[in-house]
Amino acid sequence: MGLSDHYPALIVVIFFIAAFLSPLLYRWARRISAALIISALIAALAMVIALMVEVQHTGTVYYHMGGWAPPWGIEFKADSLRLYMLLVVISVSLWIFVFALRDLQHELKKRVIGWYYTLYALLVGSMSGIVLTNDLFNLFVLMEICAISACAIISIKEDRECLEASFKYLILSAMGTGCFLLGVVMLYMVTGYLNYGFLHVELAEAFNIYPRNIFTAAALFIVAFGTKAALFPLHVWLPDAHASAPSPSSAMLSGVVIKIYAFALFLMFYEVFPRALLESIPLNEIILWLAALGTLFGSIYAMMQSDLKKMLAFSSIGQIAYIFMGIGLHHDSALVGGFYHIMVHAVTKAMLFMAAGVIIYSTGVREIKDLAGVGRVLPITMIAFTIGSASMVGIPGTGGLISKWYLAISALEIGRPVFVLVILASSLLNAVYYMPIVINAFMQQEDFKKEAKSVPRIMLACLVIGMLFIVVSGFYTTPVVTLLQENFSVYF
Amino acid sequence: MEILRGIVDNYYYMVAIILFVIGMYTMLTHSNMIKKVIAMNIMDASVFLMFVAVGYAHGSQAPIIREGAEVLYANPLPGALILTGIVVAVSVTAYALSLVVKIYRYYDTCDYDEICEIRSQE
Repeated sequence: MGLSDHYPALIVVIFFIAAFLSPLLYRWARRISAALIISALIAALAMVIALMVEVQHTGTVYYHMGGWAPPWGIEFKADSLRLYMLLVVISVSLWIFVFALRDLQHELKKRVIGWYYTLYALLVGSMSGIVLTNDLFNLFVLMEICAISACAIISIKEDRECLEASFKYLILSAMGTGCFLLGVVMLYMVTGYLNYGFLHVELAEAFNIYPRNIFTAAALFIVAFGTKAALFPLHVWLPDAHASAPSPSSAMLSGVVIKIYAFALFLMFYEVFPRALLESIPLNEIILWLAALGTLFGSIYAMMQSDLKKMLAFSSIGQIAYIFMGIGLHHDSALVGGFYHIMVHAVTKAMLFMAAGVIIYSTGVREIKDLAGVGRVLPITMIAFTIGSASMVGIPGTGGLISKWYLAISALEIGRPVFVLVILASSLLNAVYYMPIVINAFMQQEDFKKEAKSVPRIMLACLVIGMLFIVVSGFYTTPVVTLLQENFSVYF
Repeated sequence: MEILRGIVDNYYYMVAIILFVIGMYTMLTHSNMIKKVIAMNIMDASVFLMFVAVGYAHGSQAPIIREGAEVLYANPLPGALILTGIVVAVSVTAYALSLVVKIYRYYDTCDYDEICEIRSQE
């Protein structure tokens, strides 16, 4: 076996190795420490692309940990959908990390920055693992690593709000993983397998004999992933956690982490549970209505906020609900819309948090009402904020429109026009709270009151990359959409 | 009657579920943070209990193979998985407790309601 056969495992392992080396290097050779994480991210990205090419030629790649074949061993699966998710996760992480290099120096104490790199690498590694793994218990372990490191990149700031927010997040996500593990026990009890593929086959038979176990497991999974991905009534931890964290952490948590759990729920629905389950009880309906409420209430809460980062955090609740809506509509172009939104929202929300980070870095302002006239002091930042807002609202020419378009089309195709109205209403609500900030920043007559520090070029460069991507994703959609359509046509 | 019999025969599952509910209820409703952490552990332990119970069959022995003996072995896989689960639970507990310590240094209390009161007075 050559090295290239081990890529699926190496994508995860390389981050864990980097995580353990980085604090050591930070102590002895400070400059290499950040370079190490960046090179790990780039190497993983290269491996994902190499795997994508391989999957195009030879089909799905399965990797058996330690050579133990499933059902006993742990299996990693790399198909083009998972690789698409990995590509989004790792490239967005790389982008945020480059931004974090400068921003962290002003937000954190110097001695903890090395530890921040460790946590960051652990977070990215565990998320890659969640995407790749094909084994329920392995998923549980990776989810716990992800939960701890996600809480820790909030609490590393060590002020009161961060500590309280991350404690709340930790408790609720512990509840989520507890429910998840109980669901796994329910499925293991009736099948004796933990591997997704084996479970899917075995559950179809077991469903006739032990339907109650499988119903319970489905309910527990919805609670577990709903809590972790901040599906509407289970979102209570999100605003505090995402708003109080250092800006790169907020970008990471809002942009990438919550989507991973939505993806995991998607896998449970389509690759683990039997088709008969989705037909016999209205699981999709539940997700769909919660998502519809989420898009509206997320926006309504966001309108009431006076803190910029808190507003962005509440807006995430509305936006993650679009992804759940894609899962809930149970139609292939809805899934295309949902998964396109994973990519677009990952970039957009990360960029908006970066813009908020730049504003805080340069002027120290967090309140929305103090932002009047800031556009003249920080033009590039506020242009980025404008384009990000446009994508959130779904203005033509930005990526946000494409995902809403596919969701609306599929809602019409299956004869549920009410969800088109929900999408329209929530887009308008988004406009209500995003646009005043933009208008105030540029059109206000009076000058900006506070002094503004000059912003490092690398932070601005990150914002420019984000802007370009959002515009490109609004026009050049074909490759991603065809990739997604090929994948989802299997399920219908 | 059939349901009742099912419950009596599988009492260990019932114990696990009752513990799970106690843990979850305490974790979400109590305002004391230490109690929340303890409840989190109760909840995790209940799931582990249930997982191990799944692997046991009546009259089975520990899965150590002895030559020539024809005995029923318990399923070793749940045990192996739970060992990992325990390690994970310990690390989450350690992290949660360290957060409680840090919060205590700021407020001189572990009680969430009191913290809310202190914050509202500021």
